Amino acid sequence: MNSLLLQTRNSRIAMKMRGVCLPPVPSTSRTSFAEFSVRERMREKLKAARVRIFFFMQSEDESRQMQEDESQMSSRVKFRDSVKKLKQKSHVQTDFPSAEEAYNFFTFNFDLEPENMKDETKSKKKSESNQEEEEGKEQESIDEEDCLVNDREDLFIMDQMACDFLVVKPADYKSYSERLQKEREILFTPSILTVPMSQKVPENMQPRYLEDEGLYTGERPIVSLSNQNILENRMLRQEQGKRWFGDDGKLLALPSPIKQSSTRPPIFSLEEGIEPELETLYRKAMKPMHANQYIVGSGDPQGQFQLDIDISGLIFTHHPCFSREHVLAAKLAQLYDQYLARRQQNLTKLLTDKLHALRNAVQSSLDNSGTNFKFIHIYIYRQTRRLRDAEQEKDRTLLKTIIKVWKEMKSLRDFQKFTNTPMKLYLRKEEVDQRSDKKIYEAEIQAEINELLEEYMEEYEKKMEEYKTELQEWKSWKKAQKTKKKKKIKQSQDQEEEEAENSEYGEEPVKPIPPKLADSLEVEQQVREKAINIRRKPGEPVLIPELSLTESVTPNDLCPRAEVLRREDVKKRSVFLKILFNTKEVSRTITRQISSDFRVHFGQIFNLKIFNWPESLKLQIYETVGFSSTNLLAEMFIPVPETTVLTGRARTEEIEFSSNQRVMLDHEGVGSGVPFSFEADGSNKITLMTSGKVSNSVSWAIGENGVPLIPLVSQQKTGIPSALKNIDAVASIGTSGLTDMKKLAKWAAETKLDPNDPKNADLMQLIMVATSGDACVPGFFRLEQLQQEFNFALDEELNRSKRFQLLQLRHREVAEFRNYKQVPLLEREITEKLFENYEKRLHERDVIDSKDHLDAHRALVAKYLQKVRESVINRFLTAKHHFLLSDLVNEEEVPSLGNLGLSLFKLAEPKRPLKPRRKERKKVTAQKLSDGDINLLVNIIRAYDIPVRKPVLSKLQQPSRSSRSFNEMFAASPSPQSPTHSIDWTFNQVLVHPFVEVSFQRTVCRTTTAEGPNPNWNEELELPFRAPNGDYSTTSLQSVKDEVFINIFDEVLYDVLEDDCERGSGIHTRIERHWLGSVRIPFSTIYFQTRIDGTFKIDIPPVLLGYSKEKNLGNERGYDSVRSPSEGSYITVFITIEPQLIPGDPVREKLYYLLKFDTQEDEKLLQAAEKYQAECALKFPSRQCLTTVVDINGKTVFITRYIKPLNPPQELLNGHPNNSQAAAELVARYVSLIPFLPDSVSFAGICDLWSTSDQFLDLLAGDEEEHAVLLCNYFLSMGKKAWLIIGNSIPEGTTAYVLTWEQNQYVIWNPSNGRCYGQFDTFCPLQSVGCLISFDNIWFNIQQYDSPVRINFDISKPKFWKSFFSQSLPYPGLSSVQPEELIYQHIDKAAALELQGRIEKILKEKIMEWRPRHLTRWNRYCTSTLRHFLPLLEQFQGKAVEEDHQAELQKQLGDYRVSGFPIHMPFSEVKPLIEAVHSTGVHTIDVSNAEFALAVYVHAYPKNVLSVWIYIASLVRNR
Amino acid sequence: MAAAAATPTVFLLMVNGQIESAQFPEFDELYCKYCFAYGHDWAPTTGLEEGISQITSKNRDAQQALVWNFPIDITFKSTNPSGWPQIVVSVYGPDLFGNDVVRGYGAVHVPFTPGSHRRTIPMFVPESTSKLQKITSWLMGRHPEFTDPKVVAQGEGREGK
Repeated sequence: MNSLLLQTRNSRIAMKMRGVCLPPVPSTSRTSFAEFSVRERMREKLKAARVRIFFFMQSEDESRQMQEDESQMSSRVKFRDSVKKLKQKSHVQTDFPSAEEAYNFFTFNFDLEPENMKDETKSKKKSESNQEEEEGKEQESIDEEDCLVNDREDLFIMDQMACDFLVVKPADYKSYSERLQKEREILFTPSILTVPMSQKVPENMQPRYLEDEGLYTGERPIVSLSNQNILENRMLRQEQGKRWFGDDGKLLALPSPIKQSSTRPPIFSLEEGIEPELETLYRKAMKPMHANQYIVGSGDPQGQFQLDIDISGLIFTHHPCFSREHVLAAKLAQLYDQYLARRQQNLTKLLTDKLHALRNAVQSSLDNSGTNFKFIHIYIYRQTRRLRDAEQEKDRTLLKTIIKVWKEMKSLRDFQKFTNTPMKLYLRKEEVDQRSDKKIYEAEIQAEINELLEEYMEEYEKKMEEYKTELQEWKSWKKAQKTKKKKKIKQSQDQEEEEAENSEYGEEPVKPIPPKLADSLEVEQQVREKAINIRRKPGEPVLIPELSLTESVTPNDLCPRAEVLRREDVKKRSVFLKILFNTKEVSRTITRQISSDFRVHFGQIFNLKIFNWPESLKLQIYETVGFSSTNLLAEMFIPVPETTVLTGRARTEEIEFSSNQRVMLDHEGVGSGVPFSFEADGSNKITLMTSGKVSNSVSWAIGENGVPLIPLVSQQKTGIPSALKNIDAVASIGTSGLTDMKKLAKWAAETKLDPNDPKNADLMQLIMVATSGDACVPGFFRLEQLQQEFNFALDEELNRSKRFQLLQLRHREVAEFRNYKQVPLLEREITEKLFENYEKRLHERDVIDSKDHLDAHRALVAKYLQKVRESVINRFLTAKHHFLLSDLVNEEEVPSLGNLGLSLFKLAEPKRPLKPRRKERKKVTAQKLSDGDINLLVNIIRAYDIPVRKPVLSKLQQPSRSSRSFNEMFAASPSPQSPTHSIDWTFNQVLVHPFVEVSFQRTVCRTTTAEGPNPNWNEELELPFRAPNGDYSTTSLQSVKDEVFINIFDEVLYDVLEDDCERGSGIHTRIERHWLGSVRIPFSTIYFQTRIDGTFKIDIPPVLLGYSKEKNLGNERGYDSVRSPSEGSYITVFITIEPQLIPGDPVREKLYYLLKFDTQEDEKLLQAAEKYQAECALKFPSRQCLTTVVDINGKTVFITRYIKPLNPPQELLNGHPNNSQAAAELVARYVSLIPFLPDSVSFAGICDLWSTSDQFLDLLAGDEEEHAVLLCNYFLSMGKKAWLIIGNSIPEGTTAYVLTWEQNQYVIWNPSNGRCYGQFDTFCPLQSVGCLISFDNIWFNIQQYDSPVRINFDISKPKFWKSFFSQSLPYPGLSSVQPEELIYQHIDKAAALELQGRIEKILKEKIMEWRPRHLTRWNRYCTSTLRHFLPLLEQFQGKAVEEDHQAELQKQLGDYRVSGFPIHMPFSEVKPLIEAVHSTGVHTIDVSNAEFALAVYVHAYPKNVLSVWIYIASLVRNR
Repeated sequence: MAAAAATPTVFLLMVNGQIESAQFPEFDELYCKYCFAYGHDWAPTTGLEEGISQITSKNRDAQQALVWNFPIDITFKSTNPSGWPQIVVSVYGPDLFGNDVVRGYGAVHVPFTPGSHRRTIPMFVPESTSKLQKITSWLMGRHPEFTDPKVVAQGEGREGK
């Protein structure tokens, strides 16, 4: 019992607790809480609490009565006591709460309910007076306090046992069947049985199978039958369940969205075995034969199709803002239009005329021809008459309606007392001649009457026939009747009478009625009546309505308010049209206000350049009211014009539109879709919809040359237009490129394409057209059809923009703009000048300028070279943007173990060693540099064997020949020089005072003057270097073409004292400098070599007037004796760049890497070559090893293909038929005469391009390797053993020489100057030998040394030479890239002569130009003498003529002091010649009476190889 | 090359701000360098184009930020928004053996809109190409570096293969 009670209590507690937890009910007082101050709130709360406690106590007494019956626990009693105490205290009512009260207030858990509280306070006040009420209240409070008490109580009950709270019960369990039972009551389980068809289709209906009817039904998604049944059963149970079912009794379903094949490309992972047929194969890219293959059509660039849409205006036939008058006016206008149209057609007149003609025809046919015609004529005639009558009637009624509407309008205007529309109808009366008119009218009527009568007669006759037969039948019937009913004869007679009365209806079951003959009067009546109805009365004037817009519209201030409002509203409205092409908006008209007559004029023509076939053209009319948003009024489709509709011929058409919008307006406007009436009482309501007409015309535009801009396919007029449309549609559905229609059709058949599927409609149509065989498919597909739409500006605009052009050119790294900074912001700031150079260059590319070149052929070659260069540079530029890791990241090499040890050892090294080692200079990356940062350091150390001055008055000597012949050189040992010199020569020797002048980029530095033929300067000269355009990038530096000229001069002091008597008092001398020779070193060589250190042969002219270079045999010091076998003078220099620049070698590698793939060589060979090279590089990294080279087309070619015997020009061989040595020398000279053009300069140091010998000869320019290859080939053809040497030389760096085996010794030929050296010649410029190349093999030098003096050239020894082709890799017999034979043109002497003259002229002009402050006198006599010498010099190749020559000159010009020399150069351009002459400084002589002599000789060799001799001399008269 | 007009129209971009702090949880005693990378049409008119900061130590608080508060003040003029300046920051610090080693490279465009902006630049350094390289570079104190810190502001040569 107890426990049970407790349980209920517990649950009560829970309930109470829950109640407490609930958010308090919002109440009126609660909402105003915020207004109270905190204190007030407290006070109120307190009050409430006090009241509550009071009640609590009060009720406690009563509840105690009840509870006392029950057995109570001591604890409760205790609690009650405390409560009692509380109660007693609470009786003391004070305004401020006691401490206990306060405590209770804060600890008690009251649920503040102000409404309740109010009641309670009220009741409290009344409690004494009104007992009854209190009792009623009590009930409430009991409930509440009961809870509260329980709450209290249970919270304090602590000493109860756990078992007091627990009730143990068995778990609830319902048996399975029971549960099923219950579930069945609640749940509905649809059955899986098939639903009978009858339930699914509407009652009394047969299922209808659309598919059987040929309509397309998509494929339904697969659902298992049971599921489907369940669903159907379920659906049927629902209300209106049947609407889920289609006509065929199946559930409605969309076609299955699952595609048959996957649209995502399958992923092939590399790990898994790829099927062989799917494996990707590498194929070399093929060069297309025709580059413009992809250009669509030839003369038919895209976007040439144009539709012209002319939107002239818009007229509303109804608009919500129409006033009633407008409605009438619109109606009137419409009627009038109709009238006008009718009048234009003039059907009545036409038919009347026809009628007349027919009438005549009938007449004539009646007269003569047969009946057949007559019937036909009559038939047609009657038809026509009927038509005419109808037309006439229409005309008449139209006229009447017009007048009626006009009258209505007039009355309306009168009624509303204002005029809204300028519409005014005039009725023009055309008076007619009454009498003639009447006559015609009468005649007409008569004719008609007659005709009608005739007609009726015919009819009557026909009917009569019928009647007679019927009568016969009737009579027979009657007879039978008579026998039966004789008594009824009388009756029958009555019937007869009736019959007579009856009209034409002869189908009486009784006796047929004989047809009545038409009464002519009656007919006349009829005709006249009709005529009155449909025809003008005779004499009545012809009424011609004329609608004009002349009525003045009542101004606003005279109108009633409603009308003013309407007009205002109209003003606020504006309209514009959107043009949608293939449902895409292409343009829109300007927004125009609706005028008061509801016409909108646009008058705009839109030219649509179209790409896609026009599927649809749509106009959308939008209306804007005030500033609110626009709303779509109506849409209308414009038909795409026929291909014959061209601009200019297209007619303006009016297309009607209407909108179903409902508009109600609060002013005079009648609204749209709203009924309104003209009557005052509101009857006769009409409802009008917004409608109107757009006048427009659409046509195909005509191009400038009169060609219509219609898509090509449609011009060919094959197939129906819709089919053509679909041809392009193929492209649009994504199967572009499907051109084989037959295949497509086959595919469609194979895949069982559903022809009814709307998705395939386009395709099916296409296939139909295709299989019919006359379709033409565009032979292209468009890659980016929508590109145009994303272009923000037209291409032309972009092209026109100079700024954009500038940006583009800079981006392309065009030379002129490569580093252009700060492209101007505004177009106008870009001057034309900027582009001048570039455009000039572009222009010049095609125009051959013969001015600079003097020779058309060379000009052509120069152009060609320029082009090759450009292409190579472009290639290079792409390579430049291709970075290797090492270009971006500096990473220390992994040190080898030895290195690591060494570096560890280094740690122990002293920080500042006593003997510091030379450290490598730090390399500088080029881009950080600017002008003035780079200097060229030239250290001139010493020179040997400088020519010495000849004593002017010394007797002529017969010195030995300064140089030896070829034969002499190969002599086993140099023959001892015959001591022809007298001893006194040595002593008489006039000293030379040489100094060196280095000029670079027109900056000149000179050393001090030294003395003697073997001077020692040891001076460092510093020349600033300036890169072109301030561009210090690697590319730019590589392309620097400047050369360092090292000129050796002799400083001569001349005594210029006129008078001997002054000699004692003063010295007056003039310093002259005489050019002795020069050394030229291209900057590119210095750049790539980083330093040049060596002894160079000074280029000394073969004849130096006033100087002689004698062998100092009298000076038998050891040094000179060593050098004695050599000829010429030498200078030792050291050149470097400070700071050290990093040469662009990585670029070379990269380009090589890029180009490597572009080859026709066998893959295996290339691999072998790479391996070979790698092996060689590993052993001797510094030695050159070449296996493959890049040809002029940028392809990699195996090097041995270049070596092949080739015939030298026959003329050269003929010169020395017996002397092979001389011939060889001549050939070498010939080769050296081909101008030298280093690749590193022309191709910016990217790579060596090897041209074949014929290309080389055609170009007449090349660098060492071309010369070497040609020379080697010539030697091979001459039956020598010859190899190409790849090695290092001074000053060229990496170079190619030729090695021959002659007379038991190896000879090294320098192909660029034609000189030859024995293997043991110390002055051979070749410093090291990397490899030897023959036509069938490559040998790499694996000897310890690489200097030619110290190595063994016997290639048969594998110990010394590592061969590329060996037993393991036999020579595969590579075909040569060289031509079979070289063809030489004959020598063109006339051209050479002409060139000679021109060069001479130019040089003379130049010299005069260089001496602006002096008079330049030309000594003709000397010139002619010199000219005489030059051919001799050429003949002897500059050798062996010196002395004779000098003697002769001396003889002829005895009283002149002559200083001068011949310069010999291969001819390429004039500029180098000028440069060479300038560098000698002959012109610098400033003796006032100096004269000059200049002679030029051009010797032509086969193939236009020209050798140029320039003899320049200055003459000073001796006193 | 001289500009086309005597007074070419340019727009100016004034940048001032500071490199405030960095988070390099593993390193301490770092300093940073900054420079600007910009296109052809940009030229600095005033201010310092590059700078090198003081060495800073880690904050002792939980954030352990390295605070430089290193000011940047530069004005560019330009004719073309293309090549908008990027500030390239590289951070260096001593390694275990006291060698100065690069600890991070990073670049960010100067903000395109006026106003105060705060940018956080993720920093990175190139990795050694191999394990062995890594060890040796650690030993030698020669970690891989970019040839030019501006590499991080350019796309060239960093295309994925």
